Amino acid sequence: MFEILTPLFVSLIVGGTLIGIIFGAIPGMTATMAVAVCLPLTYSLGLENGLALLLGLYVGGISGGLVPAILLGIPGTPSSITTTFDGYPMAQKGEGEKALRIGIVASLVGGLISLLVLDLFAPTLADFAIKFSYVEKFLIIFFALTVMAALSSDMLLGIFSGVLGIFISLIGTYDISRGGNGELRLVPPGTEYWLESGFSLLPVLIGLFGLAAILEQAEIGVPKGHSTKDINVGKHSRFSFGIFKGQSINLVRSSLIGTFIGILPGVGGSAASIISYTNAKTFSKRPGNFGKGEPAGIMASEAGNNGLTGGALVPLLSLGIPGDSTTALLIGAFTLQGIQVGPLFIGNNPGTWDAMIIAMLIANIAMFAMMYFAIRYFALVVTIPKHILFPVILMMCVIGAYTINYGIMFDVWTLLIFGVLGWLFTKLRLEVAPFIIGFILGPSAEIYFIKSLESFGDATIFFTKSWIAVVLWILIAGSVAGAALMSKKNKEISDEAV
Amino acid sequence: MKFNRRTLLAAASAAALVAAPLVAEAQNLPRNMRMVIGSKSTGGDTYQNSAIVAEALSEKLGINIKVDAVGASEAFKALGRDKRGTTIMIFHDQSYLGNLYGVTGYDDPFANYAVGPTVAINPGNAYLVPADSPYQTMEDILAAAEAGTRVRVAIQPGGVSEIGFSAMKNAAKLRAPGSEENIVAVNTGSQSDKNQAMWDDLADVINGSIQANEQFTQLDASDEKAMRFVWITARPETLEQAPEAGMGGTTRDDMLSYASPETSVPVSDSADFTFDKEFFFLFNKDMDPEVIDAIDGALAEIFEEGNIQERQKEAFFIPNYLSTEDARAHLNEKRDTYKTVIEDISSGS
Repeated sequence: MFEILTPLFVSLIVGGTLIGIIFGAIPGMTATMAVAVCLPLTYSLGLENGLALLLGLYVGGISGGLVPAILLGIPGTPSSITTTFDGYPMAQKGEGEKALRIGIVASLVGGLISLLVLDLFAPTLADFAIKFSYVEKFLIIFFALTVMAALSSDMLLGIFSGVLGIFISLIGTYDISRGGNGELRLVPPGTEYWLESGFSLLPVLIGLFGLAAILEQAEIGVPKGHSTKDINVGKHSRFSFGIFKGQSINLVRSSLIGTFIGILPGVGGSAASIISYTNAKTFSKRPGNFGKGEPAGIMASEAGNNGLTGGALVPLLSLGIPGDSTTALLIGAFTLQGIQVGPLFIGNNPGTWDAMIIAMLIANIAMFAMMYFAIRYFALVVTIPKHILFPVILMMCVIGAYTINYGIMFDVWTLLIFGVLGWLFTKLRLEVAPFIIGFILGPSAEIYFIKSLESFGDATIFFTKSWIAVVLWILIAGSVAGAALMSKKNKEISDEAV
Repeated sequence: MKFNRRTLLAAASAAALVAAPLVAEAQNLPRNMRMVIGSKSTGGDTYQNSAIVAEALSEKLGINIKVDAVGASEAFKALGRDKRGTTIMIFHDQSYLGNLYGVTGYDDPFANYAVGPTVAINPGNAYLVPADSPYQTMEDILAAAEAGTRVRVAIQPGGVSEIGFSAMKNAAKLRAPGSEENIVAVNTGSQSDKNQAMWDDLADVINGSIQANEQFTQLDASDEKAMRFVWITARPETLEQAPEAGMGGTTRDDMLSYASPETSVPVSDSADFTFDKEFFFLFNKDMDPEVIDAIDGALAEIFEEGNIQERQKEAFFIPNYLSTEDARAHLNEKRDTYKTVIEDISSGS
């Protein structure tokens, strides 16, 4: 088993992880992009070495997203959205370095737990995953959507923002590759050429979080006498592992949620961190602190999105079906080598299976070592004067938007449109977080809802399909009730304050 | 040795002189070429085949070719915008089948673009049933439809996945007019969705492929995921070129038993329906014909040398180089055949 550990194999994992972290840390670049760029190299590397590189990129790319999410409030990857909710407020309070370390430790825990699950239970879990039909998948997405209410400072405006996000996500073709009819919908006449494929997620995401923030800062301007020397990067805010005391349930639960969501093809990585975050908030003794710099929020989000890494490999290696967009690219590494991935893969290719598990383990350790000890240098990014930092971020956002779909200029316009919209949202008191969650989950919610009705006939199927559906309804009801209670409590507190 | 500006200039000039013959052939070609493909997946057969062809072509012509998986709609747009020849496209029969089925974003490729040489066939298009299905063969399925039983077939509508389904309906109609109404489509998306439709008992038959589904056919029949092939749409002469060992536990002979003539899905009284998924080039209609000729000539040499065939076969493709002229005639004829099948079904007569 350990003969695979050649210097080349280890170097490729470590190098891949480093490149992945860099891709994840640059707003607009993602783990998926890193894997896509390096995929052609794997043909000459051979299968095991090629997978070592790609798995390093995958783990690094997912993990690197926390850096801009915490320091700049811009999620480096879609699955780091919930990391911004508490990470960025901590960075603003001068606890950026501490928030980064919390995120990195949580990422390691999430990655290792999901790897353990992958190694021990992959085929069994794949059998369980196929019990999730359109109905159960819709209910999971619906459950994730209930977070819109929980994340809003004003419940009604939050839900409105979320529904607006869903509405905008549906603009474009009802894609036949997802089972749609290929017809255009919600596209204003004369804009069909540009809006045929709708708005891409990543340009929308970096527009709303990145460009909008830059516009807001530009509006405020730099106060007279302001110096970057005044910025507290957290050198004196000591990080202690004691912060994880009492959080082991949160960490394990979030890691398992991430792993579980990863196992379900088509549900999407963003749902993993969103559901983990909502659960952490629901079960927290201090739910009111979430969104204001609560370390437990970062732990849930990062353990959740790294938990996805092992989970998404379960259906890939047990059914030949990728669990998320990045593992869909990993199939390319197998097909380029002429290797079939399916239910017999693990049994027929024990060497490759072992190599993948070892590669994931090393990638997680390498990610932790590189990020944990380099974090103080990452944190210094906030000391760069904004008139230098913002144009660089803007340039990276534009490059990222242009390259995400291999060079489509409309994606750059999307970035700019949603940057301005994000800036207008704050003026109109609309909320960005529920909007983007609605935008991410909207297309999946639509397709699974319609397919459920098409396949099973009527809406009662959502309640009667299986015991899994019943459990999901209980979770949904709990989440909605929790959000309503929290909203009521917040209102009482604000009334008392008045 | 002391390195200064002159030394570097001399080295660069020498390198240019050495490299000149390598790129001489490609003088009229752009130095950097973008090969867009009609798929967004870098794990699928379109990307895999395009990557093999792009690498060989790049080496032969001494230029850079980058494969971009932008998807059909964006690929056609990119191709339509670029008359300079810096953007070329590789796609398969979906390019005209999408148009025949009226899918948004699919113009008639023969009218709007210049169809170029074919390079390979993926012989894997197949139809499968659950391992415990009462249907053992296509004959059983057509007989069931004739007897009034609804047979649900999971497909992705509007192209390659649907053409076999249209052929099934057409065969049912030829056998017993009206029975085609009993063969109904279950519209799904990806292969994962089609498999899930089978496991959820929403479909009796699913469209799949040898590559994606073969391992499921090797599972024990008691496994709820187990499947069986009932039809492989490729022409027998195509499958005969596949490696004798076939793929996984399915040999070439096994594959041939699921294909015409052993498994018959008639398209007329005298012929069976067959479908090979062929990959071919598409160019901008106003592109310099010399550039197309250069690509065509280079491909002819590449296939003459024979190395590319090895790589294609390793990846379970059947090498299939046809020059631009031959490819246009062949694909036009193929399109017309499928057009008739689709029209016959749509007419309901």
